[in-house]
Amino acid sequence: MSHQQQSFWTKYIFSTDHKTIGKQYLFFGLFFLLWGGLQAMVIRWQQIYIGVEVPLVGKLIWPDSGGILTPDIYNQLITMHGTIMLFWAITPLLTGAFGNFVVPLQIGARDMAFPVLNMLSFWVFFLSGGVLLGSHFLKTGPSASGWTAYPPLSTPVGGIPGWGQTMWILSLVLMGVAVILGAINFVTTVIRLRAPGMGFFKMPLTVWGFWLSSILNAVFVPIIAAGLIFLLLDNVLGTQFFIAGSKATVKGGDPLLYQHVFWLFGHPEVYILILPVWGIVSDLLATFSRKPAFGYKATVVSMCTVTALSGLVWGHHMYVTGMSPLLGKSFMFLTLLISIPTSIFFLNWIGTMWKGSLRFDVPMLFTMSIVFVFGLGGLTGLYLATVTSDMYLHDSMFLVGHFHYTLAASVFMASFAGIYFWFPKMFGRLMDPLLGKIHFWVSFLCLNYVFFNMIVVGYAGQHRRLFDPAVYDFIKPLMPLNKMISMFAFALGLVQLLFFFNFFRSLFRGKKADRNPWKAATLEWTLDHPIPHGNFQGEVVVKTGPHEYSHPDFKGRDWIAQTEELPKQ
Amino acid sequence: MARYLKIIFISAAAAVFLMGPAHAGIWYLPFPEDISLNGWRIDRVIKYIDVVITIAFGLVLAALIYFIFRYRARPGHRAVYDRGDRPVNILATVCLGLLVFFSIDLVIEKMSFHDLKEVFWNFPRGANVLKVEIMPQQFAWNFRYAGGDGEFSTEDDIVAPLNQMHVPVDTPVVVQMAPYDVVHAFYVANLRIKQDAVPGTVTTFWFQATKKGVYEIACSALCGIGHTNMRGFLTVESREDFQRWLAGLGTETSSEEDVWAAEETAGGILTKWGWKWQAKSQ
Ligand SMILES: [Cu+2]
Ligand SMILES: [Cu+2]
Repeated sequence: MSHQQQSFWTKYIFSTDHKTIGKQYLFFGLFFLLWGGLQAMVIRWQQIYIGVEVPLVGKLIWPDSGGILTPDIYNQLITMHGTIMLFWAITPLLTGAFGNFVVPLQIGARDMAFPVLNMLSFWVFFLSGGVLLGSHFLKTGPSASGWTAYPPLSTPVGGIPGWGQTMWILSLVLMGVAVILGAINFVTTVIRLRAPGMGFFKMPLTVWGFWLSSILNAVFVPIIAAGLIFLLLDNVLGTQFFIAGSKATVKGGDPLLYQHVFWLFGHPEVYILILPVWGIVSDLLATFSRKPAFGYKATVVSMCTVTALSGLVWGHHMYVTGMSPLLGKSFMFLTLLISIPTSIFFLNWIGTMWKGSLRFDVPMLFTMSIVFVFGLGGLTGLYLATVTSDMYLHDSMFLVGHFHYTLAASVFMASFAGIYFWFPKMFGRLMDPLLGKIHFWVSFLCLNYVFFNMIVVGYAGQHRRLFDPAVYDFIKPLMPLNKMISMFAFALGLVQLLFFFNFFRSLFRGKKADRNPWKAATLEWTLDHPIPHGNFQGEVVVKTGPHEYSHPDFKGRDWIAQTEELPKQ
Repeated sequence: MARYLKIIFISAAAAVFLMGPAHAGIWYLPFPEDISLNGWRIDRVIKYIDVVITIAFGLVLAALIYFIFRYRARPGHRAVYDRGDRPVNILATVCLGLLVFFSIDLVIEKMSFHDLKEVFWNFPRGANVLKVEIMPQQFAWNFRYAGGDGEFSTEDDIVAPLNQMHVPVDTPVVVQMAPYDVVHAFYVANLRIKQDAVPGTVTTFWFQATKKGVYEIACSALCGIGHTNMRGFLTVESREDFQRWLAGLGTETSSEEDVWAAEETAGGILTKWGWKWQAKSQ
């Protein structure tokens, strides 16, 4: 861990410093967020201007069709939008950027447990992104079987031409390898490298979130990787693991097997992405309400309970596949149970703000909005957890609205909260608060408009992944509302440019931040920018919990850093 | 001044927000018309969850709005130090857990499972039950009727024209479904039914239509390039009209059927209409 004589390459590119790797993930994730976001814009364009050339980029990207979307291009777009947003935008932004940057600092570690593995993990991730991007340049286009890639559609039987599916599988397997390497690192780091005094119940909830999320990653990503390798064999070697029925030439294959494997990973994946969000929300609410996190231990227990339940509920994605009644009943019961721990930490979030002194800085605005959007996202999950209502709402725009509330809205609002919050620690400068507030309000209004009305049209019967919804008479009356959704989606996309402008301008021109601009109590705020490789000079001893705000016996300031003693009673 | 600006901004935002649906001429969109005997059961559980989540979300929203005004940081206001870990808090947490469990989870579970056990997974039997086999393929719907003998995979099976399903009104219809190629899903919004068709599996559902008319059948599982256009029609008509329609189909289609029938279970693998009616649902 010597800090001398680092060349440009070892300092910025092949760095083993968790802070640099975190920043690499941040830029990587933002790039893919932009990419996936543009795809969303084109998808919304298609929903209202069917058969009209996509403006600006259409002719450039799809010269063969004259810039007009065709059904196969549309299927490629929805597939890539989902895949990219989940695995190459959210994952690097949360676990990659904040996990790497924040977790070692918050537990008082000098780096991750395995710094070289950490670097390797990033570069495998980078490679996987390259493979996925590369598949866009195939003559036949990228994968078009949906982000879930259900066989037999995703096998040669499905009739989708080209190598898009194969490259999709390869990129996902590589991504899985990167995630597993990262997860092992996080789990070990949190167990082994906590500073003296940093007991498990003194860890910031952000660390809890990333730690539990990494445990799920380490357990469930290998499962999907295995499933995808079987799918790869079906694609390139002509095996028939997931092919059955009239098109099968040998016995024994089963597409349902893939669905089980996919969702056995797929449901925990939701929590892999959302657990860090819960952690960040809990911590930031405390910081900006100037109060200790309400019911800290209950929140931790709730998060652990959800983590444990997450591997037992995957069947709720398969209620309409002809599942056995007994299984349907059990999966419904287990899924509904999740409402108990979630309602408990919701209560604690409200409790944290209760009688606080709320500071509406930009990170706090984003954090409070997560209470709102995740509330809606979580509650709409009840309809889909219930077998009978799922019969009607399965595979509908309702489902699309629901998971965009939980995964898109909550997770991206948390990513933004995290970026605005940790930007000063990462780059030594503050982002512009006025631009931040405009970014927040426009994003908040637009995303609610978009996702709420997706729920509304789903309620009214519109099913999803439709190239041209107006083909159906029962959807025709919904087209005006679909059009409005698209308009607000465009506004939502446009205002993100303001964020990117603010981000890059602040990198160079932002106001210089002092050591602790938010008056936060966790360990990363005891360090001056730039934090050297190795983080802490001398030994760090942790003496108090992560959210000691407004302690009545502590005069002078309203926060006590984790390295300071609590006042004697 | 800043305060007025804020109020103006918030009202403007609210106006924009509500204008969209008003412009579209809709705010709350009703469900498609329910033409089935048991669709109300699905609507009922949805309505119950509507009420539950409106209350829960309303409470969260009310707290958020109240706290924003009441507890905003301002000179002279200090947060109250409270870790929320006293016995009274733990008691409140346990009570909330129990409340959620008994008023939400158990009610929904009971309501839904009752409907499943008594209705949706309880297949009607008897002479007046109409049996239909559906075989979706890329990108169309095939429907097959048993013909005079009531048995499938026999000489007199009747295959309907592509994408045309007819059923008599007020008659229980039991459907068995297996796709030709990839996963499809049978979706009729007016029946509140969605059922996947998975290769290698025969899935079963039943419904009873209560209103005559022509309704749309959609495929709700992504099945490839023609997914959107996989549109079929469900005609609900009187028993006489139905019989007339069935009789008018002739045997032409069913003679083509014979070719398939010969290879039906070759090697135990389903080919085309390769499945015999599965006995479990009679
Ligand atoms: Cu799930
Ligand atoms: Cu389809």
